[in-house]
Amino acid sequence: MEMNSLLLLLILISSLIPGIVILLLEEKQVLARNFLNLFGAIAKVVLVAWVFAGYLRGESYTFIFGLAPDLTFALHIDQLGLLFATLSSVLWLVTTIYAIGYLKGGKHQRRFFAFFSLCVTSSTGIALSGNVLTFFVFYEFLTLSTYPLVVHRGDDKAVEAGRTYLWYTIGGGTVLFLGVVGLFVLAGPIYFGQTEIIASLAPENGLQLTIVFFLMLSGLAVKAAIFPLHGWLPISMVAPAPVSALLHAVAVVKAGAFGIIRLVYDIYGVQTSEQMNLLTPLAIFAGFTIIYGSVKAFYQDDFKKRLAYSTISQLSYIALGVAITGVLSTTGAIVHLVHQGIMKITMFFAAGNVAETYGYYRISQLNGIGRRMPITMVAFTIAAFGMIGLPPVAGFVSKWYLGLGAVEAETYWVVLVLLASSALNAAYFLPIVYRAWFCEPEPSTIQPRCSGRWETEALLLIPVLLTGLFSLAAGLFAASTNSPLYFAREIADRFYLHLP
Amino acid sequence: MIWLLVIILPLLAALLTAFLPAGSRNAPTIFIFASLPAIWTGLVEVPEISLDWFILGTHFSLDTPRRIILLLTGILWASSGFFAGLYLKEDARNSSFYFYFGTAMAGNFGLLIAADAASFYTFFALMTFASYGLVIHSQTHSARQAAKVYLVMSIIGELFIISALFLAVQSAGSMLLADIPPALASASNGPFIFLLGLIGFGVKVGAIPLYFWLPLAHPAAPVPASAVLSGAMIKAGLVGWMHFTPVGLVTWPSFSLLIVSLGFTAALGAVIIGLLQVDPKTNLAYSSISQMGLMTAFLGLGLYGGFPAGIILPAIALYGFNHGTAKALLFLGTALPAKVGGYWRILMWLGLGLGVLAIAGGPLTGGLWTKYLLKTFLGKTNLPGIDFFSYLLSLSAITTTLLLSRFLHLLGQVEPPKENKIPSFILPWIFLLFAGGWWTMSPTLLSSELMSLIIGEESMLSFFWNPITIWTALWPILLTAGGLVVIFTLKFSFLNRWPQEKPQIPAGDFLYILLWLWRKIEKPFQKAMASLQSLMQSRQSAEKIINKFIDNKKTIQISSSAEALLRRWEVVGISFFIFFLTLFLFLR
Repeated sequence: MEMNSLLLLLILISSLIPGIVILLLEEKQVLARNFLNLFGAIAKVVLVAWVFAGYLRGESYTFIFGLAPDLTFALHIDQLGLLFATLSSVLWLVTTIYAIGYLKGGKHQRRFFAFFSLCVTSSTGIALSGNVLTFFVFYEFLTLSTYPLVVHRGDDKAVEAGRTYLWYTIGGGTVLFLGVVGLFVLAGPIYFGQTEIIASLAPENGLQLTIVFFLMLSGLAVKAAIFPLHGWLPISMVAPAPVSALLHAVAVVKAGAFGIIRLVYDIYGVQTSEQMNLLTPLAIFAGFTIIYGSVKAFYQDDFKKRLAYSTISQLSYIALGVAITGVLSTTGAIVHLVHQGIMKITMFFAAGNVAETYGYYRISQLNGIGRRMPITMVAFTIAAFGMIGLPPVAGFVSKWYLGLGAVEAETYWVVLVLLASSALNAAYFLPIVYRAWFCEPEPSTIQPRCSGRWETEALLLIPVLLTGLFSLAAGLFAASTNSPLYFAREIADRFYLHLP
Repeated sequence: MIWLLVIILPLLAALLTAFLPAGSRNAPTIFIFASLPAIWTGLVEVPEISLDWFILGTHFSLDTPRRIILLLTGILWASSGFFAGLYLKEDARNSSFYFYFGTAMAGNFGLLIAADAASFYTFFALMTFASYGLVIHSQTHSARQAAKVYLVMSIIGELFIISALFLAVQSAGSMLLADIPPALASASNGPFIFLLGLIGFGVKVGAIPLYFWLPLAHPAAPVPASAVLSGAMIKAGLVGWMHFTPVGLVTWPSFSLLIVSLGFTAALGAVIIGLLQVDPKTNLAYSSISQMGLMTAFLGLGLYGGFPAGIILPAIALYGFNHGTAKALLFLGTALPAKVGGYWRILMWLGLGLGVLAIAGGPLTGGLWTKYLLKTFLGKTNLPGIDFFSYLLSLSAITTTLLLSRFLHLLGQVEPPKENKIPSFILPWIFLLFAGGWWTMSPTLLSSELMSLIIGEESMLSFFWNPITIWTALWPILLTAGGLVVIFTLKFSFLNRWPQEKPQIPAGDFLYILLWLWRKIEKPFQKAMASLQSLMQSRQSAEKIINKFIDNKKTIQISSSAEALLRRWEVVGISFFIFFLTLFLFLR
């Protein structure tokens, strides 16, 4: 086999094998487990970086395995996939460190880490998949491997949440499956980027293609948590903090958003979707979700629930950016895929740190927490400012491109949605910042659960610090050639290459 | 490199001072050093640079008005930082104050040197949000309230600014701020964008009707923070306006008239409310609103056409320079009367009196010359009602004198200390007073060509020592002073009824009208929100329908039996396999 194809498989295997081996280990073999986890995570980051460097040099990476005539398992590297793969592998490494610290001494760690690794395998698989079928396979694989993580605690609440989660995602998967089959019947096998196939079918099969588009879109919208299919996300917050952080801020929800980007740009193509007028409903739903999620978030006192509703709102930025035609808004959507991930994961880490160290789960308990956990709360504050869209944090860059894109496309209502969302974000995030830094802590007897040199365990502190710095750096150096923005811009340019 | 130092040094200072050990005496020195690059770039021409990698591509450069404001800002932050380091030495939370102080300083410098939209907005936001920490510093109930109003208004301002920037950058097709005014002049939605910017930056300037946070927030902050808030940061709004005002490129009579009227309303109206205040800092805050009103009016004059931006904007900036230095001198001065004893009090009163004269436009101060510069524009425009506005300008000299006499009067009521001693923080105050060498002769900041362009044929010297100029400046002040002397010697009865303990109109006047209106509509609004909320929670909502389906007894039965299996994770693993097998077979 060719070296480059092997690399793609290795990227997948680097988390699949540790996952399987961890299953075979004993619960007590902590050291071996942690070693495997970290080894896998680091190996994945290195491999992705290697492929990235190769891609920049102009190498191409493809792996195709024929399952049946016309049905192939295909892995392929393009910039969009690479961006998502980089995001998930880097954040996986960070979250692995965090999870080791968070679950130390907990039960069922074997199960947890095994499925955790499987999840990441599937999310990288989604990133690397080169055609619709492969994407679908990994998409469903992700659904199933997340379930044990949602029910990890094993109490009634968790099981119930798991049930809801399955109903939503399996339902969504079924609808997506119908769409995939429909697409196959209509157009045959489609590799991502072959937009000309649909374009050639569009004049004659308009109705069928529209139905297929919305079937696939609604399947993907479940994971992307677009109203009214978002209900599973806040409920799944019973999962432990690392799960909420990686899966419900990055891997799972991003799989949906990433799928929408693929659907619009790499299957249907901008021109066709625009001509068939497929994007307006998406824009309307996304716009409504942004406001709805923010309003709901405003009324939550539970820290993680507020973050969850905020995720719902922020994810729809991506969908909204996709739904507006124009290089600028596409850039905004793609870059927000990365930016939202690093900012939201920071917030979940912070929430987890506070809960783990002081046992605070409600926002009303957070008075003066800034002085007790300065590093955690500095990172949280950076991320919160980013979510509001304040420079120089990453969120500003996304919002800037989305706003400019909306003006460019003369969809001024989108600008209003963005502004209203900024205001609402400020209204529900700034009170947390205010409580943390400007309120006196209530005299309480709660002692921090860890008595180390730092405000909490180093393993919990390093990840939040790292992702907080990422969020700042991604905004501060957005114009440099190594920033997410730069790649997002290149990707978006390519999508619009064939347009007059 | 020096451009970067302008921003980095204050940020470093913020971090350094925040981690200083308690009782350290280094804070004053650190803040002075941190503002040196800004003062340097304000004085010496530095070639512009672009940093392609920073934020969204950053450009640093200066033009004449911003150079003047930068110099002012540098001087004020240096002296206030010096002051803060001494004044807050004993304060338990001074490290947090220093942190926000340094950060706001970086933002304030940065927004002045930024020449592109994104970094300008970045630094503007940095300054705005960092100064929240300054306003709330004392953490008293009133400071918290003031900070809340400040934050809400700032966010509203930011939203207007960002939407103005979206539209402006898009229609200019460039990130450079210098391209915005020409774009506004030619774009069909130019006036609308201008209006957005007018409102957005109007919050910071304290323009009518967005000013009401200002008399609450500026006095709530500790003395050195008030000085920079009212002297320097308020000018950031003015600079924002300058970026969004196509002066000399358009003729927008209605906008021009509107802004001039709003400006003069602020200039005179704020005085009336300010006179009824009992706190010297609140009095000064109203004076700031009034003075910014004059600058607003002249900016509005520029929209009527006739003057190139290169002439009127430096003149307005110069007026701002004079006001800023003098206002900071007065604000810092509010800490003095309770601490300065003996002969030093003479110097104190002299300095305060000089500051008052400078703002009121007294003879031989920068106030006179800068006001005179602006006045020349009144003579050259044909805006309707311009004669009336000229009268108002003269009237404003009287009202300003009145307002600031009240300020001195309020300070005079402060109990002097028994012993003959001086606080250490009088040093920075004296420094600012001598930096007043600048503000007495501030027109020298303009190049002589520019000066002769503005004032006509006269040379600089004849302009400074023209008896007619001096007399036109002197009579309103003499008249007011004379009037006050008469009133006080005759002991008119209304003096006794003048507010002593509580202001007749509470600071933040307009806010209370808004709050009153809000209370009127609060109940129906909350009802509407509650019904909206219950609608969302009702059975009809999509979330509920899906959840209802899930919670249905039958569904639960089926799913829980399935779940009993699924709960055992081994089963999940097997189902993976089966799933793939089915998929494979099915697709085959």
